Amino acid sequence: MPRKRTRARAAGAPVTTVVVMRLYVAGTAPNSVKAIANLQAICGRYLKGGYKLEIVDVCEYPRRALADGVLVTPSLAKVSPSPASNVIGNLSDRRSVLAALGLPAGMVE
Amino acid sequence: MSPELPSAARSPASLTTEAAFRDWVRRIVTGAAELQAFEAGQLDAVMDPATGSAILLPEAQAALQRSSRLVQSAFDALPGEVSVLDAAGTVVMTNMAWRAFAAAHGGAGLGICEGANFIAACRKVGAAERVRAAAVAAGLRDVLAGARKLFRSEYVCRIPDGHCRFTLTIAGIAQDGARHALVTRENVSERKRARATSGSGRAQGSRITAVARAGASNRLLAALPAKDYQRLLAGLEPVKLTYGEVLYEPGERMRHVYFPSDCVVSLLTVVEGRRVLEVGLVGREGMLGSRLALGFTVSSGRALVQGTGTAVRMKSERFMQEFRRSPALRRALLRFTDALMLQVTYNAACNRFHLVEARLARWLLMTRERTPGNEFRLTHEFLADMLGVRRAGVTTAASALQRQKLIRYQRGSITILDQQGLEVAACSCYRQVRITG
Repeated sequence: MPRKRTRARAAGAPVTTVVVMRLYVAGTAPNSVKAIANLQAICGRYLKGGYKLEIVDVCEYPRRALADGVLVTPSLAKVSPSPASNVIGNLSDRRSVLAALGLPAGMVE
Repeated sequence: MSPELPSAARSPASLTTEAAFRDWVRRIVTGAAELQAFEAGQLDAVMDPATGSAILLPEAQAALQRSSRLVQSAFDALPGEVSVLDAAGTVVMTNMAWRAFAAAHGGAGLGICEGANFIAACRKVGAAERVRAAAVAAGLRDVLAGARKLFRSEYVCRIPDGHCRFTLTIAGIAQDGARHALVTRENVSERKRARATSGSGRAQGSRITAVARAGASNRLLAALPAKDYQRLLAGLEPVKLTYGEVLYEPGERMRHVYFPSDCVVSLLTVVEGRRVLEVGLVGREGMLGSRLALGFTVSSGRALVQGTGTAVRMKSERFMQEFRRSPALRRALLRFTDALMLQVTYNAACNRFHLVEARLARWLLMTRERTPGNEFRLTHEFLADMLGVRRAGVTTAASALQRQKLIRYQRGSITILDQQGLEVAACSCYRQVRITG
């Protein structure tokens, strides 16, 4: 039985977009650990569960990094929604991370 | 947690100085954002397109080595003996106490060094430790397979200056998708000895209550007149007997006699120092060490606990005094010795004439009537020793009983589903030696 269109849907209410990201790290090296912590803090605060994060350890999976065109770690790649973008380093600069994720910089207090 | 860096992450050998290394990075990394992060010290590794591997930057390498050393130092500072095994059971990390034990006892008691395999070590133990080591290996496999989080077992091994008793705890660790196991060994020999010699007033009171409770479940003790039983109580102490524990070894002095409450002990005959065969099974209907009453102080075979539970025990000298003093105890003991002889006789005939399937059914029923539960922890190897057959024979017999829905057989445990059906499947010997009904 076809689902009934609700008023909200018919009015084109915004649908939550899931941000898909991939973070390339080098094991438990210091900048990699910082990058994971910084990104998780940002996601927890601004994306509220509307995200998917994959962490790739380049020491274990170097081929994966090379195939994805990643030359340095830590490196964050936003896969979707387009446009794709990336941020290099330990992600301590919250503004540049939010900009890469397509979130308004004004969100930063 | 690994103290070594991944081999793929070491610097190229040709780049000996830091300046040369930085030049190499600048040639590889051309993007502005990458270079900026590199100059700001925010990078950990650079991919080497020539080899396809990740090269750790010197700062990251130094930091990882520092943290590895810190982990190793913390590990070494732990008072217990600790080691880490990889998914294949190979020892990848040990602490100082573990290494000291291994060095002092030359690999005894599963004290193996880094690089050796724990499961292989369990197979290499002597005949006296084989059953316990097989149980430990099975527990480790379960933990590494993720089937259980924790496995704990008591382990007794022979060391040059006597016996060493310890508790082995194996805990699963999930790291990078692969499972590891943390093995800790706690030496309990001293604690056991201290507990055996302590005797404060309050402890004494609760001890007697515990003895009375445990002793009452033993039929041999329960059959004694109240006066004799009360006198025996003062010399009895409650003990927990754990699966795999050896109470007596052939030719060794029997220090205690044991009256099981809800544990089961196998009497094994050791042939040529390594092959074993079960000749009798003792539970709450009897005792271990009855040979003392015949004037012998050493054991003729091995007594192996095969069902964990409680028992009460008494020092051999004290038992002999009571035996001489109490006619009721003498009568009870003679009756039990006769029943045990009957059981041993039927076992001998049964091993010769009956099929493995019927023997397995009999053995399970005999174990069932001596333990409180329906489920027994048993490995193939253990059952093969009990029944005197090869492991393949146990598999066939257990599968046949399972097909008839009489038992459920899973790795390391058997559950009786249909007691009456199993009695039909068992050989006639069971009806001759059963202790209930």
